[in-house]
Amino acid sequence: MNTTLNFAWRNIWRHPRRTILTMLAIAFGAALLVFSIGLQLGQYDLMIKGSISIYQGLLQVQKKGYLDEPKIRNDIKDIQNLARTIRDKTGIKSITARANGFALVSSEQRSYGTLITGVEPEYEKLVSSIPGTIKEGRYLLSDDSHEVIIGKSLANNLRIKTGDELTLMGSGRDGSIAATILPVSGIYDSGSKELDRNLIQIPIKTFQEVFSMGNAGHALIFYHDEIKKEHFFRQQLQQLIADNNQLLTLSWDQLQPGIKQAIELDYSSGWFMYLVLVAIITLSILNTFLMSVLERSREFGIMLALGYKPFNIAKLVMLEALILTFFALTLGTLAGLAINVYFAVYGLTFEGMEEIAQMYNMSATLHPQITFESILIGPLVIFIFTILSALYPAMKIRHLQPVEAMRKI
Amino acid sequence: MPQRAMLILLILLSLSLSAPVQAESAKQLIRQAIDNYRGITSYSEATMTIHRPDWERVMSMQAWTEGLDKSLVRITAPKKDKNGGTLLIADKMWSYAPKINRVIKIPASMSNQSWMGSDFSNNDIARADDIIDNYTHRIIDSRLQDRVKIFTIESVPHENAPVVWGKEIVTVTEDHVFLRHEFYDQDNILIKTLTADEIKLIDGKRISLRQRMQKNGRDNEWTEFYTTLIKFNIKHDKNTFTLANLRNPG
Amino acid sequence: MRSLPLITSLAWRNLWRNKRRTMVILFAMVLGVWAMIVTAAFMRGMAIQMLDDTVNNLTGHIQIHHKNYLDDPVIENSFFGNDTALLNTLKLPDIIHWSSRIRVPAVISSERETRGVVLLAIEPEAEANISFLKNAITEGQYFSSNDENGIIIGKKLAQNLETRLGKRVVVMSQNTKNEIADSGYRISGIYDTSGEGMETDFIFITKRAAEQLLDSTGLSSEIAVITRSLDTVLSVQKNLAAKNPELDIQDWSSLQPYTKLVVEMYSDFQYVWHLIVFLAMSFGIINTLLMTIYERTREFGLFQALGLKPGFILVQVWTEALFMLTIALFIGNFVSWLTVMTTGDGIDVSAFSQGMELAQMSNIIPFVILFEDLLLANIIVIALGLLTSLYPAWKASQLVPADAITRI
Repeated sequence: MNTTLNFAWRNIWRHPRRTILTMLAIAFGAALLVFSIGLQLGQYDLMIKGSISIYQGLLQVQKKGYLDEPKIRNDIKDIQNLARTIRDKTGIKSITARANGFALVSSEQRSYGTLITGVEPEYEKLVSSIPGTIKEGRYLLSDDSHEVIIGKSLANNLRIKTGDELTLMGSGRDGSIAATILPVSGIYDSGSKELDRNLIQIPIKTFQEVFSMGNAGHALIFYHDEIKKEHFFRQQLQQLIADNNQLLTLSWDQLQPGIKQAIELDYSSGWFMYLVLVAIITLSILNTFLMSVLERSREFGIMLALGYKPFNIAKLVMLEALILTFFALTLGTLAGLAINVYFAVYGLTFEGMEEIAQMYNMSATLHPQITFESILIGPLVIFIFTILSALYPAMKIRHLQPVEAMRKI
Repeated sequence: MPQRAMLILLILLSLSLSAPVQAESAKQLIRQAIDNYRGITSYSEATMTIHRPDWERVMSMQAWTEGLDKSLVRITAPKKDKNGGTLLIADKMWSYAPKINRVIKIPASMSNQSWMGSDFSNNDIARADDIIDNYTHRIIDSRLQDRVKIFTIESVPHENAPVVWGKEIVTVTEDHVFLRHEFYDQDNILIKTLTADEIKLIDGKRISLRQRMQKNGRDNEWTEFYTTLIKFNIKHDKNTFTLANLRNPG
Repeated sequence: MRSLPLITSLAWRNLWRNKRRTMVILFAMVLGVWAMIVTAAFMRGMAIQMLDDTVNNLTGHIQIHHKNYLDDPVIENSFFGNDTALLNTLKLPDIIHWSSRIRVPAVISSERETRGVVLLAIEPEAEANISFLKNAITEGQYFSSNDENGIIIGKKLAQNLETRLGKRVVVMSQNTKNEIADSGYRISGIYDTSGEGMETDFIFITKRAAEQLLDSTGLSSEIAVITRSLDTVLSVQKNLAAKNPELDIQDWSSLQPYTKLVVEMYSDFQYVWHLIVFLAMSFGIINTLLMTIYERTREFGLFQALGLKPGFILVQVWTEALFMLTIALFIGNFVSWLTVMTTGDGIDVSAFSQGMELAQMSNIIPFVILFEDLLLANIIVIALGLLTSLYPAWKASQLVPADAITRI
């Protein structure tokens, strides 16, 4: 075997320029794929994170049926305690409790119906980006203070500013009138007019008091940066709520289905382009492999005449292709990896990304994703295509007739 | 609610009892009937029970009415909601929340939301006087029951009337006792029914003391009014139907 | 040059000396050209679709509003849309369509459900030239005149309200006297667009019906304007804004900045993609050319020994490359054209419809081949192709005759 290896290695370097060009082609493809895929996946990460960090979180715990019918009675009992327990048991702080209701909010001049949510301000800050988008005034102080924050669009429509009073009136859990007057302590601008117009927040204990909720709420929001570990976190949560069979955990793509699909679409179209590229590269090097076999017809003919089995010649040729590909892929993968690592540290910004990011309170720099999957999948595909293309000339060898072969120049 | 039925009946009876009448005079008759009805005032006390499969809530209230345009409802129990209430003038509705001492005007966009958490919508409570303009009425049945004549009236909304129903069917006795009000969608499917019973003679008038609103197909969900006291032809204080009164009882 | 016919015929024949090799590299190049053109067409289609959607979905090229309308889109912030002075400013040759609308928040109810919506009261004829509605009607009819009293709602909204064509719904909104106005309307048409968000949010009645409902005769919430082409939008906008300083007049790119960003990003990406594809092809081109030269070393040496100048050989090899490129371009362009022709309206990506919804795009992406994109792809291939094949051609011309002939 050693001799064969030696032989193969020397054959490769018989035409250095050709070999180098071929290796460059493969390496180029590998580097490109590693970088692009890393970037794409990093972009998806950004998209998902950008989306879920605004309000919905990575996972939510809700009462069964609440997602389809968000009625105030579909509540989770003793919700702040539950949140606290889960925080303690998992060691993760970015878990918060919320209670939701519908109310008529009035300023002196106007009334609007909106969604009103009771939050735990200290933990809400770790889960949602809205507290960070306060543009006037400040966010809520504690989970039982008497104040409210509203979105900019709603503030405009109601013609109020910080310090003004907002009257809230709705229906409590037990059907009684839920009413309160709260001063506006802050106005947020999330970048989404939809959100700004429809969401106001008050401290959760205040909410519970006004809406006769007792100590109940409606959702537990779980957020974590490491989106990839979603399944792990989900399992953890499931275990911790297992003793209450009325509760279930929902993941972000159940809460916001469009995003996953948008990602799938983009990923699929990305792969279309990658495959086209790989095909072009493969065709490019097919000629090389063919050439390197055909020009050695005489040589192979002599080898056959000397008793070398055709199969072994084919093996030799394949081995050459293998070695060449392996080195090229390693080179390309490392190059791609290096680029990814560089941008993973320093971030990558496209023109125009800053404005989009600002709109959605996201970070404007892309960081390529670096995982086994993201690094190896591109090179793997190239490897398969390359080896397949080497097979074609290798097969031709099996049909070589020694005498004819030796006649070729 | 019951006032509507009474008014409809009044109009129809006045139309049917008189000799063949020109369209002009029919309208006049209707005007007269309305003006006549305008004068009717009442004071009542009632309980409202909201029943659901897993809970039940009972509220006590007082109500003052004048004709079809004005009514004031004030809650007397439970303590949590005491002194809260609703004031209706024409088609405007205000709500008072004693907890925060504020009166809020209910915007029209909330008119389909439930009133006080019951199966009645704000709209149900508010809109009584548009029945004349918005519907075409006809008597589809009349029969005798316990020596009392009972009319069944079908009211079909006009083409562009601001009414979602396909039709409404009201059953009323000849002396204006409301028995039943059915709400049908535009495919003739029954959506909800208001039934009344316990008919008593009070102040010279026969009225039903108990009314229940029930969505069709949901037997365990309903809201029921039970009138415990009612007086007619009360002379209301000038200030009764004002926002000030809504806010400050007595 | 006298030798041109010679060069060309030699080049052509040389090309086909090794059929398989030429075919393989041609295949690679055709694939590359096809990839360039088709993906460019797809992206262009996406960008144009997005732009179209934005413009069609009621945005138009330019919109005119009361100064406070965009912050608070209520009936109070209306302007006199029938003011003659204003209408005169719209008589520009570059403005080909415009339409006046009422656009206010409203509530719609059926027997079973109530929803908050945006009420759009339109002038049917004018609006037909501007927005999507007329062509999106799937049941019932579009308004035939401004006198109609029906209402047109989206398919999804009809589902949510549990109602259908022919049934009455009640619409409630605030009128100019600050009172609640309501009326029943029969659903005279149902529309279906690819943006579900639109279907649930927008309900349509005629402007006259709105005037009766809201007491808004003579008033408009907005006027949407379509200009002759995208290029003239900015100049028209400036013109109108200057003549009507008391109104808010903006073009689509400031009304919908996100769309603008995406369109620009796509354009940028195209250049990069073309270069990448070419780079992938170029390895093969160079390698293949080098191989042919290697094979024909003796031949080239012979040529030179016979007196042909090195320059001749360079041009010779270069011409072979040129032929290859030209053939590849020819076939590549043709296959691309075929692809676009056979996909009809475009690619249906409704399997990803919710994702498309998020990006505010419709489900069918057309292939759009713009001349400039086509030109770009072809120029890149020829220019870079000739550039890269210069190296092998030059190498061929540098062969020293004595060495070359003795090479085996």
